[in-house]
Amino acid sequence: MTDPTQPPPEFPKGHRPQVFSDPAIDQLYDGYVILGTELAVAFDRIDTLERLLQERLGMSRAEIDAYKPNEVVEAERQARRADLAQRLLRPFREFRDDRITRGSRRR
Amino acid sequence: MKDFKQHALLPTPQHDEQARQDFVGALRGHLSGRVMPGNYQLFERRVAPLFAAEHGRAPADEQEIREWMTREPYYQFWSALQRRSQELLWESVIDPTEREWSKLIHRARSKAGAKASARTNARKRGSLRLDAALTVPRYHAAADIHLQPGGYHTDFTADDVAAGAIYDKGINLYMGGALGAENDLMGNTLLAYLRERHPSRQPKRILDLGCAIGNSTVVWAKAFPKAEVHGIDVGAPVLRYAHARAESLGARIHFSQQNAERTDFCDHSFDLVTSHIMLHETSKSALLRILAECRRLLKPGGLMLHLEIPRGRTPIEQFMHNWESYNNNETFSRYMTRIDLTAEARGAGFTAEEVALEEFVPTMDVTQMNYTERFVWNILVAAKHGVGG
Repeated sequence: MTDPTQPPPEFPKGHRPQVFSDPAIDQLYDGYVILGTELAVAFDRIDTLERLLQERLGMSRAEIDAYKPNEVVEAERQARRADLAQRLLRPFREFRDDRITRGSRRR
Repeated sequence: MKDFKQHALLPTPQHDEQARQDFVGALRGHLSGRVMPGNYQLFERRVAPLFAAEHGRAPADEQEIREWMTREPYYQFWSALQRRSQELLWESVIDPTEREWSKLIHRARSKAGAKASARTNARKRGSLRLDAALTVPRYHAAADIHLQPGGYHTDFTADDVAAGAIYDKGINLYMGGALGAENDLMGNTLLAYLRERHPSRQPKRILDLGCAIGNSTVVWAKAFPKAEVHGIDVGAPVLRYAHARAESLGARIHFSQQNAERTDFCDHSFDLVTSHIMLHETSKSALLRILAECRRLLKPGGLMLHLEIPRGRTPIEQFMHNWESYNNNETFSRYMTRIDLTAEARGAGFTAEEVALEEFVPTMDVTQMNYTERFVWNILVAAKHGVGG
């Protein structure tokens, strides 16, 4: 088996259009859509979990409300939050890539 | 969204990856069904009257409309979300592909190699011929078409098939599932056209240009199982994927890495030459060369069929279609708005009697239109003079 060493680039090659007069607004719109996407993912996951819990264990929602995470669980949650932050901040990385990194290479 | 057929060459999305793809599908469905039509209302009720008040006439072309529409917050809102949804689409497909990358390459190798030793099946199998020396044309390499990171032609590792796997699922999400369970809508559309307008044709040798993952090529191979079917593309990873995919679907196709502007096939070697929404991804000079190459490759009496996306009948429709050109790395498609395809075909050597541009409304259900509410396909047709085909 081959072990791919170089992943595809994060951003497509080519012109990145600016829709609004201030690029910050473009970034905020992008962040807004990404946030909505991740929220949809979380809703689906929660829905799956609650249905499985109810079906298989007869667990109630009150038990979920009363849950307290231990250290291991908390560490996993932190990793997930970091992943969310990474996804949320994609537009800003794009901005850096477009305006700063590539710009500085030209100079 | 219609169910997409899971096959061996596709990664299996995990729970959250699936949820992300599902949301992108829902978002794009909402954008095309509920938000996009507002741009036409915006034009009719606000922009056109404002333009008329200033100029005393209607906008003459899509460029004049562009100047006014791109200043409108509603259009800006739709455009920003449409662009982001396109990038999210690829992101949602790339995640599971990266996770299963090695497995996919391994599976593609074994699918392509499966039955190779079985003597009985050897003649029933297709083939793959790559050309590492082929220059990827600038219209492919300059920008990643449709924003797919790395495009359709980049190998990121040996025997890479990632671009194919990403494309396969990605184009299905792009059309809200309308491309069908096997992404065969476009092949089926052109086949339906052939069956309706040229019912007696039984092509023995078929060539599909710019075939990518061969999703349309498979349609032709299945419709004419006795025919020798070839598919060409400039991208190696999509062709590796196409070959393994076709083998796993039981379609016998010979894929080769070639530029449609100049192939290594002999003169008069095909009864049918097709392409499926490829022409608008090329360039003005390439278009002419591709059409001339089609004429060279066709047997006397042979048929050329290019399925194309309509460029819009009115300036506002043209402006909306050309969103792709300015925002989705379809650089050439804006020029297609002003190109007379039949004139180009004549310039490439076809006679006026041989060539026609036809509008075709397929019976299939196209549920999600991104830029217009009504949709017809354009088909550039040429029946080469002579007996045969």
